[in-house]
Amino acid sequence: MGVAEEMDDWWKLSGRVWLFGNNVDTDQILPGYAMSAPREKLREYALAGSEQPDFAKTAKLGDVIVAGENFGCGSSREQAPAALHEAGAGLVVARSFARIFRRNCINIGLPVLAADLLPYVQQGEEISADIKEGTICIAGSGSLIQAKKLSASVLETLECGGLINKVRRQLGLGI
Amino acid sequence: MNEIERHLARAAGKTTVEAGEEITAAVDLVIAHDVTGPMAVEQFQRIGVDHVFEQQKVVFVLDHIIPAATVEARALHNSLRKFSRRFNTVLYDQGQGVIHQVVAEKHNLPRGAIIVGADSHTCTAGARGLIAIGVGATELAAAMATGVIDLEVPETYEIRLEGKMSPGVYAKDVILHLIGKFGTGGFTDQAVIFAGSGTAGMSLHEKMTIANMGIEMGAMITYFSDLDMVGPVRETFTFDLAAIPPSVACPYSPGNVVPAREAVGTAITQVVIGSCTNGRLSDMEVAAEVLHGKKVHPGVTLIIVPASQEIAQAMEDRGLTKVLRGSGAMVTGPGCGPCFGAHMGLLTADDVAVSTTNRNFPGRMGAREARVYLSSPRTAAESAVAGEIVAPGTVAPLDGGC
Ligand code: SF4
Repeated sequence: MGVAEEMDDWWKLSGRVWLFGNNVDTDQILPGYAMSAPREKLREYALAGSEQPDFAKTAKLGDVIVAGENFGCGSSREQAPAALHEAGAGLVVARSFARIFRRNCINIGLPVLAADLLPYVQQGEEISADIKEGTICIAGSGSLIQAKKLSASVLETLECGGLINKVRRQLGLGI
Repeated sequence: MNEIERHLARAAGKTTVEAGEEITAAVDLVIAHDVTGPMAVEQFQRIGVDHVFEQQKVVFVLDHIIPAATVEARALHNSLRKFSRRFNTVLYDQGQGVIHQVVAEKHNLPRGAIIVGADSHTCTAGARGLIAIGVGATELAAAMATGVIDLEVPETYEIRLEGKMSPGVYAKDVILHLIGKFGTGGFTDQAVIFAGSGTAGMSLHEKMTIANMGIEMGAMITYFSDLDMVGPVRETFTFDLAAIPPSVACPYSPGNVVPAREAVGTAITQVVIGSCTNGRLSDMEVAAEVLHGKKVHPGVTLIIVPASQEIAQAMEDRGLTKVLRGSGAMVTGPGCGPCFGAHMGLLTADDVAVSTTNRNFPGRMGAREARVYLSSPRTAAESAVAGEIVAPGTVAPLDGGC
């Protein structure tokens, strides 16, 4: 396989869907009481305050969070997306995101796509996505949905594996 | 360009910017607290530079869980103490108050200066005409190292507040009313300029209360203009202050707003007066005026948290603390207090609270089922006496007389 092909594969992922509604705030994603927990334990509290408090226990690597409007509203706590990421989430798709949360995800290397998937997917269903193209394929029905494409700067951050690596690269410190 | 765009262009070293454009802006102050700061310094150290961009422009405030409620919280404090010593950054230690209040008191910046803060209520500083942007820990770490931040220039909207508030109506009621109208995602990724005849007469405290909750409408920047013409904006909305009623946000969203009279009679078990939204001296004066010579209802726990040491001292000097304690309130040390549910005054599933803070999401103050109503200090103090939600003027006359 050539380098270009390998890169293309890197942007593709698939996983099982976890469904959430509108306005899931960061207190639901990671409650305040979990904020002083040591970093390595954060994952145990992922979505502990939400309607699916079992997420942390049963999520598998690469699972996809699918939500409605304004996902991640509320506090700026980066521990919230970090907990999702560490509990296994490989992608978050929502109709819309709160700004700080969306940027936090990208800054830690967790891809997000803005698309309205709720009408088309079921809990537990398998979906796949091409982050670079912004396309999402629903395995069961075969339908293909186009999300808003990510900007060049966002793709660069994701490609670096997060903002820290990107800044290191900018400062000539190497990744 | 409008006012916000002019400030962003200057910070980016450009003559013009337009909405949607990606810019790199120089920052004038970088702030974080004991919950977000430790992660930011960890990320900063991963970058691998040996100094922050400017020592006096990097500020940490220990406010969220102080005094430490857990061993882990103490470790968070110690990590920032250690970092501040090593990198010579500014540290407000030992409970000097809530980050946004302390920064307002101690850091005088010119209009248009850029603050980035690892806290969503960084927008509070928009009351002073600062461009104040909430970020996460990693973005803060990058700004600490580089002194710049990458931004997308937001679309700007103008909210004009005209006329005067009615008796019993406060800045908190105004912003709650607006959040109810625009929704919690109403201005996501966008900037909001407050202007109009009604803002000209507002105190800095009042502007801070309003700017503080801009994030509850999703806004990236909230900003108070001191000009008559703010420049071209996407859309202007005008509100008559006299038409806004005392308002409360019902569980479980700051956007779930109704006139206070519609929530009257709801039995309550706790009241919290404080936070970066409503923990300032003028808020304490309102509370003391209501509670003077009265007793908190026996079924209600009233917790009063000054937003800073300076405010706590002024409350002592003016005899407010004595009045509040005399009514049966617990007046605590400065800080975030029960606002975000990490210590002090946690609620069970059976509790119903009125709070002057800014969020009432499920689990924000303890149990997921606990019900929190957000209100002005006036509504909160009167409700604490009544033992149920009441409208301003029920427990104490609105003119302040007897
Ligand atoms: S008082 Fe509440 S909203 Fe303000 S900074 Fe503290 S926790 Fe956040």
